[in-house]
Amino acid sequence: MADVTGDPSAPSYDSELLSDQQDTSGPTSIGDLARIAAKNRKPKLPHWTSLIDCQDGTLLEQVEICVTEQEKRTGAARTTSMGMKDVYTVYLVETRVKESGGQGLGEGHTSLWRRYSEFELLRNYLVVTYSYVIVPPLPEKRMTLMWQQMSTVDNFDADFIERRRVGLEGFLQRVGAHQTLCEDGIFHGFLQKEDSWKEAVHATGFQAKQDSRLKSLNASFRLKKPDRKFEDLKNYASELQGNITAVLKVRAKLVDRLYGIHKIHGNYGRVFSEWSGIEQEMGDGLQSAGHFMDAYKDYIDDYMNEEEQIADQLKEYIYFADALKSVCRKQEVLQYELEKAGDLLAAKTLQKEQVMGNAPSRSFSLRGMRSKIFGPESQESKDAQTKVLEEQIEECEQHLKQATQETEAFIESALVEVERFKKQRTTDLKEIFINYAILQIKISKRGIAVWTNMKDCFQKM
Amino acid sequence: MSANMADETQKTDSRDVEEDPLQNPLSSGTDDEEDIIAVIRAPAKVSSTEGRPSAIMGSMKLEEEPDVKDLFITVDDFQKHVFTIDTYITYRVFTRTTRSAFDEPEYSVRRRYQDFLWLRQKLLETEETHIIPPLPEKHSMRMDRLSKDFTITRQAALHKFMQRISEHPVVSFNEYLKVFLTAKAWELTSHRKASSGIVSRIGSTIKTTTSALMLKNRSPEFTMMTEYINTFAEKMSSVDRISQRILKEQMDLGAEYESYGPTYRLWGNSEVELADTLGSLGDCLDKCAKSVKDMTLSIETNFLPAAKEYMLYSDAVKGTLRKRDYIQMEYELACEELTRKKNEREQLQKQVDFLSDKSEVANADMKADMERWHRNKRKDVKEMFTGLAAGQVESYKQCLDAWEEVIEVLKSEKRHSDDVGNSLFQTSEPSVHAAGGGDSQLNGREEDEKE
Repeated sequence: MADVTGDPSAPSYDSELLSDQQDTSGPTSIGDLARIAAKNRKPKLPHWTSLIDCQDGTLLEQVEICVTEQEKRTGAARTTSMGMKDVYTVYLVETRVKESGGQGLGEGHTSLWRRYSEFELLRNYLVVTYSYVIVPPLPEKRMTLMWQQMSTVDNFDADFIERRRVGLEGFLQRVGAHQTLCEDGIFHGFLQKEDSWKEAVHATGFQAKQDSRLKSLNASFRLKKPDRKFEDLKNYASELQGNITAVLKVRAKLVDRLYGIHKIHGNYGRVFSEWSGIEQEMGDGLQSAGHFMDAYKDYIDDYMNEEEQIADQLKEYIYFADALKSVCRKQEVLQYELEKAGDLLAAKTLQKEQVMGNAPSRSFSLRGMRSKIFGPESQESKDAQTKVLEEQIEECEQHLKQATQETEAFIESALVEVERFKKQRTTDLKEIFINYAILQIKISKRGIAVWTNMKDCFQKM
Repeated sequence: MSANMADETQKTDSRDVEEDPLQNPLSSGTDDEEDIIAVIRAPAKVSSTEGRPSAIMGSMKLEEEPDVKDLFITVDDFQKHVFTIDTYITYRVFTRTTRSAFDEPEYSVRRRYQDFLWLRQKLLETEETHIIPPLPEKHSMRMDRLSKDFTITRQAALHKFMQRISEHPVVSFNEYLKVFLTAKAWELTSHRKASSGIVSRIGSTIKTTTSALMLKNRSPEFTMMTEYINTFAEKMSSVDRISQRILKEQMDLGAEYESYGPTYRLWGNSEVELADTLGSLGDCLDKCAKSVKDMTLSIETNFLPAAKEYMLYSDAVKGTLRKRDYIQMEYELACEELTRKKNEREQLQKQVDFLSDKSEVANADMKADMERWHRNKRKDVKEMFTGLAAGQVESYKQCLDAWEEVIEVLKSEKRHSDDVGNSLFQTSEPSVHAAGGGDSQLNGREEDEKE
């Protein structure tokens, strides 16, 4: 379903996307790309958000990514075990190249349909492949009932799907704005290559590299010298989640009450209307006041929707904290491996010393037993063992060196990533709070307007 | 006691006892009461409120209404009295007056709620044709009867009651009112024992329920009044119910706001760069919480009691309308009697004339009182709802100020931080993002509302 540009001389983007390298030396010049992009530029759709500055050199500078529509689909061939058709929602992912040289992306405008599970696949791949990156979170798979009073969980509810769409778009944009992630070929493929993208992801073999849950837990428990910084980060992540949850919980209850109050005032409107019928001088004033009561009852609905959007943005950081935790867990695994390697080296070295007779064996050892039963070892036997051990020791040293390098590199990258994340978090949260304040100001002004009008009506009674 | 009363020109229901054979002699009472009544009745023929000319005078007084008040009554300073057998609350009733009927210019007495009930009962009996304002209820669904808040509310309502009575050009001259305002505690007790209690109350309910059924030609004026007051009572009752619901929700809302601020502050404790932001948000929400709580209190103290009072007032009006109906019925029955019993004509004629006068007085008083009631109602309802609206506006203004204050802080903090990673949040709706845009959209909607 991707729209291929009309220009026959444009390169097919298939070949370019699979490669991770930026293909600036492609068959077309930068100038050509620009001309082609300009020619094929579609008129801007009304609901595309305008993009902001992002990290220099990231994809998002040059490309607009949007998730614009959703549709319900029925799984054609595959049916569930109960014989029912598998129904799911797909989202339209549209990409538009703003400027030339979009880092290996084709020019012009492409769009294809993706379902939620494909987003999940993309994210899992990114998490495993770039384990030091705090990968942006996806919106919830199902509606959580944490604080919302809903009788049924409906994954096909229009509001939920819309909010998911916004979340998915945010996810793609954040990935596109990330210096490292935006260059990934699988990500590009997600955006533009419909056919056999899934196969390409599996072909990377990322699933094999994934640390199992057991492995993470094990590392976490057995760590001898946990890194202070990452311990603190883990704690911070948990606290952040707890704090945001608390805020959102009270907000939801508060807004619930507010909603109820506005609706009950609608009853006043009805009573005023009936009452105005029996009054002489007071009739007009009552009647007009009744209309304002109705207005007061009605405008709360829009406000609720707007506030829900802001709440979703806050909620995203709960999931961001999970991503932070998973980077910490990776560090623990690496460090555990490092400690294990060190231990192994120490053990082998000790063994060698014991064989060479330099280190005393333990009081009760197999070696001691054997020498008592079979007589002392011959020198050749000892030499053979020493040789084996020395080889092993060298292997261990290599392994240790590698693990150390890997761990140090990881920590260095991770800490840089954490700093980036912190700045992003501060900026984002401030923006969220400003929007929240703006909304509250709006609702206060509205309240003042309606009640002032009502007061005028009452004074005319 | 009787000597004082003899000086007063008063209208009473004492006509029941001797002159009127049609009436059930229910108000026999004790000898003491008959004495009192006889004394009161003696100058009755020259009383200012009996007979046609005085009725017109009474209603004319109402129409002129020069608002020269010469009787001021306040109810305040409630106190709890604890005895071994009993615990009750008394209120100070303070009177200032220049009327010659009163010996002193000022009186200060202590009265219980029971005493007010007695006074009202007496007024109902002796000022049959006038609307007597309501008293606050004995019990309250919402509030604990023993709480201080309940007593404060009740005191305010009792004060309102006395004020309304003092402003009524006829009822304010009632003898029982004077007793209530001036008598010492023991004097009042003996008065209360002397006056007929439960018996006459039962009698009056029987009277008033049968009248509606037997009425033949009620003038459309009074039918309209009855219909009006029935509908009004319904509406007022709805207003009362709705406002109680709103009050409950408002109280919960205030509680939620109170717990909202702390969640932000708590969050601020585990942040470094965002600590100030979160702290100022917490403060802002605390201000909003206070604002909501103040408004809720104001509704509870001012609006709700006013609505309740007018609910009860409607009942009082209904009662008076029924009494008027009854008086008319009496008159009509007597007219029938007249046509039937020709030989007793002379006596019956006197009776008819008497009742005809009474009926006219009743009608005139009813009309006059209704007019003044409507005037008061208009003023009071206007005040009550305007106060509610003003309270809401004030509350919203306070919240607005708090949020505008905090947004300046948030924006200035944002300007200071150097942004490497910029926010991806730009809401796509212009109405939310820019306050300026929001205003214009708001103004647009305002124009819609103003029609």
